[in-house]
Amino acid sequence: MTTPDRPAGCREAVDHLYEYLDRELDPSVERAVREHLAECAHCYALHRFEDAYHRFLEARAQARSAPPELRRRILDRLLSGRDPEVP
Amino acid sequence: MSSPSDARRAQFEGEALPHLDAVYRVALRLAGDRSEAEDLAQETMLKAFRAWEQYRPGTNAKAWLLTILRHTFINRYRRAKHRRETVDVHEIEPFTVFREVQDVDPEGSFFARIVDDEVLRAIDALPPDFRETLVLSDVEGLSYAEIADVVGVPVGTVKSRLFRARQLLQKWLYAYAVEMGYVRRGGP
Repeated sequence: MTTPDRPAGCREAVDHLYEYLDRELDPSVERAVREHLAECAHCYALHRFEDAYHRFLEARAQARSAPPELRRRILDRLLSGRDPEVP
Repeated sequence: MSSPSDARRAQFEGEALPHLDAVYRVALRLAGDRSEAEDLAQETMLKAFRAWEQYRPGTNAKAWLLTILRHTFINRYRRAKHRRETVDVHEIEPFTVFREVQDVDPEGSFFARIVDDEVLRAIDALPPDFRETLVLSDVEGLSYAEIADVVGVPVGTVKSRLFRARQLLQKWLYAYAVEMGYVRRGGP
């Protein structure tokens, strides 16, 4: 499958989009994608959109912490040594 | 008065316990229920304390704890292990949301109007394997290699699950945003 009406590198930029945003690419590939984004308005816009989505997802999904009583219960168990296999 | 077991406990409290929030958050997404999640998180932390000698200092303690959490979860709900993905992953067409909104909201500002609970509900509706990978990555910030270790699959599988999980979630959240009037349906 080819996409002849697009400049070279779109395919790579799209294929590696999430790896790029996750900083998981090899430095040389990352550089190639970055260079492509600097010159391709369409891919740049797509990346901006996915980046916004990614940051939104992280922010929303992290909005939970453990209930204080759970932490206290675990600390109690550790302190009391009631755990049978504690040396 | 300090004994070796005091030192051990202090070490555990310093290095493992700070990750309780992460363990609880992942437990909540795996179990889908607060009291189950608390039980799972507690069992995980106590197991981890018993196995503390197996933790290698300098490695990612969070990933280590999440591996224990995952085993604990699977042992408890053995059934879940045999449940397979029900979504046909090949049906997910990539980046359709961007195509739809590029003329009306190319920067995805509508996302900001979607509240936590709605996002968490959508995450919970993902197929289990997708959900697990997405949570480990986007919620807990593990690398692809760390996720591969925790879940016990190749890095390539992590990548494809993550890709599809994010796309599926994006599609649902976009549909929700359209329904709520946060974004005008665009597209060709």
